[in-house]
Amino acid sequence: MSELLQVKNLNTSFHTEDGVVRAVNDVSFALKHGEALGIVGESGCGKSVACLSIMRLIAQPGKIEADGIWLEGNDLLKLSEKKMRNIRGNEMAFIFQEPMTSLNPVYTIGFQLQEAIRLHQGLNKRESWKKSVEMLKVVGIPHPEKIAEEYPHSLSGGMKQRAMIAMALSCEPKVLFADEPTTALDVTIQAQILELMLDLKERINTAIIFISHDLGVISEMTDRVIVMYCGRIIEESATRNIIKDPKHPYTIGLIKSKPQIHEKIDKLVPISGSVPNPLQMPSGCPYHPRCEHAMEICAEEMPEKTEAGSGHHVKCWLYSRKGDQVRQ
Amino acid sequence: MKEPIIRLENIKKYFPIRGGVFSRVVGHVKAVDDVSFSIEKGETLGLVGESGCGKSTLGRTILKLLDPTGGSVYYKDHSIFETDKEQLRRLRRELQMIFQDPYSSLNPRLNVGEIIGESIEFHGMASGKEKQEKVEYMLETCGLSPHHHRRYPHEFSGGQRQRIGIARALSLNPEFVVADEPISSLDVSIQAQIINLMEDLQEQFGLTYLFISHDLSMVRYIADHVAVMYLGKVVEVCDKEELYDNPLHPYTQALLSAVPVMDPDLKSNRIILSGDVPSPANPPPGCNFNPRCRYAEERCCSEEPELREVTAGHRVSCHLVEKR
Repeated sequence: MSELLQVKNLNTSFHTEDGVVRAVNDVSFALKHGEALGIVGESGCGKSVACLSIMRLIAQPGKIEADGIWLEGNDLLKLSEKKMRNIRGNEMAFIFQEPMTSLNPVYTIGFQLQEAIRLHQGLNKRESWKKSVEMLKVVGIPHPEKIAEEYPHSLSGGMKQRAMIAMALSCEPKVLFADEPTTALDVTIQAQILELMLDLKERINTAIIFISHDLGVISEMTDRVIVMYCGRIIEESATRNIIKDPKHPYTIGLIKSKPQIHEKIDKLVPISGSVPNPLQMPSGCPYHPRCEHAMEICAEEMPEKTEAGSGHHVKCWLYSRKGDQVRQ
Repeated sequence: MKEPIIRLENIKKYFPIRGGVFSRVVGHVKAVDDVSFSIEKGETLGLVGESGCGKSTLGRTILKLLDPTGGSVYYKDHSIFETDKEQLRRLRRELQMIFQDPYSSLNPRLNVGEIIGESIEFHGMASGKEKQEKVEYMLETCGLSPHHHRRYPHEFSGGQRQRIGIARALSLNPEFVVADEPISSLDVSIQAQIINLMEDLQEQFGLTYLFISHDLSMVRYIADHVAVMYLGKVVEVCDKEELYDNPLHPYTQALLSAVPVMDPDLKSNRIILSGDVPSPANPPPGCNFNPRCRYAEERCCSEEPELREVTAGHRVSCHLVEKR
């Protein structure tokens, strides 16, 4: 199998007191070695939950169900918790959105880096410390020997995110999940971090799953993009195609509603309405109440995956044969 | 030439740092340091900068929500910092604010009718049935349904709450509105709705906005003039098109080039700034920006540049504008 990671029909739901929230619905995708895949969507669309499900990091009352999640042919859902722990941080690593809250404030930066290295690579205390300092140097932290002995509070946001990246990459994972790694940072710091990630991707040849709501960031960082809405994948294609020739009305709306810095526009075109309550999902296509092209069938049935160009898949009745028949 | 509706002169806002056993003042954080500009009637001035540069502090200081350390603000003929409490209260009707976080800026225990009606009644503009009509009119103008007035804030989504915040600010028929990052906590598809609403309302009521944001592409869309702040100072201010097409300050150039570009055909020449923003409690000597500036010379490390007019209407604070 050439795929590094394959996800088939992933469903993650949360059983709350108010009802069942289906955060991720029938999500399937594959990731190749060294590829950079982007996942785009607004808050609550399930992009983070999908990735946390792959790492099996969903706590009660959440429930992960899937036909399979294979990492190099091993079904992760069938592994024991102990074996899974060997994979987390070692073969798959996660960079979280908030560097401020994802580092432990009572341990030094070096200690936190060292922990994963000692656990997964079996190095002793001195060797792992040396490796931690080396990793801090790789991510461009000045005076790494000194910073390794500092506590998180004495580092700025950008520096903390660099330390997080160093931690995630310390065991040279095969898959790196980056969940909005720059959203909490300022633009000039964001530019530094993105540059660093692109550079490291070349050097270490890690496959990256890059989660973001910012199509600009996605466009610069990824080769292929998945667009999610209400827990479902609605469009998937090469990054260039998604930006230049989007098919799904939601993707088109998302691109149009954000002005570009080098463009002069007269009027913004917003998407009307708002994201539905996850406890009361609309029937059929979840986007139909906001869609300007909505037809009768859209409220009745979820559209199937249709090919709209080579490697360009979209779930929308506008592009499916069955949708054509209904229209006639 | 149009008259400026609001004029800032050398505004300063320092926060004391206390330390030691007796909590003595050991230093100051110069959050806003010597800022001057003016805004004409019916215009939008975009105030951009990174977090911690003092843009929100400036917005609050202008309305005297924070006590200023120095300088003056003139609104029409009134000097805001010198008016007494009673007069200021009356003036505030014309000077309103839209807050960043629609989740924490609405009282959860009041319903929407009370939230909007409170200020109408306080300023004695209307009461009873007349107030009720005004509330419903404002809700409708801001894209909500008039019967929403009985509901409580938790029943609304983020975008709808921001509409309530806007309805509250505009219910007093203000002239000047400070909008402090009004869209940054909203989703992309909702941001455009709120921006369009603010534009429509500006046209309808002839409003003047100070639009504070870190989103440079949105500012390009909504603003007429733009001021760029760095470490408590305005480093560049001019007409919007001029700023985006011809940025002169090295910080503005880096800031604009750092914005991710969606179109894969437009490869930007990115200027990556090294290092972080210095602490405003201990700013570097000379030009604030010199440790990160790629052009910095000796002079920049010792002498503070002044904000001066380089070409008509384009003011920059950099020693080396002509040289580069």
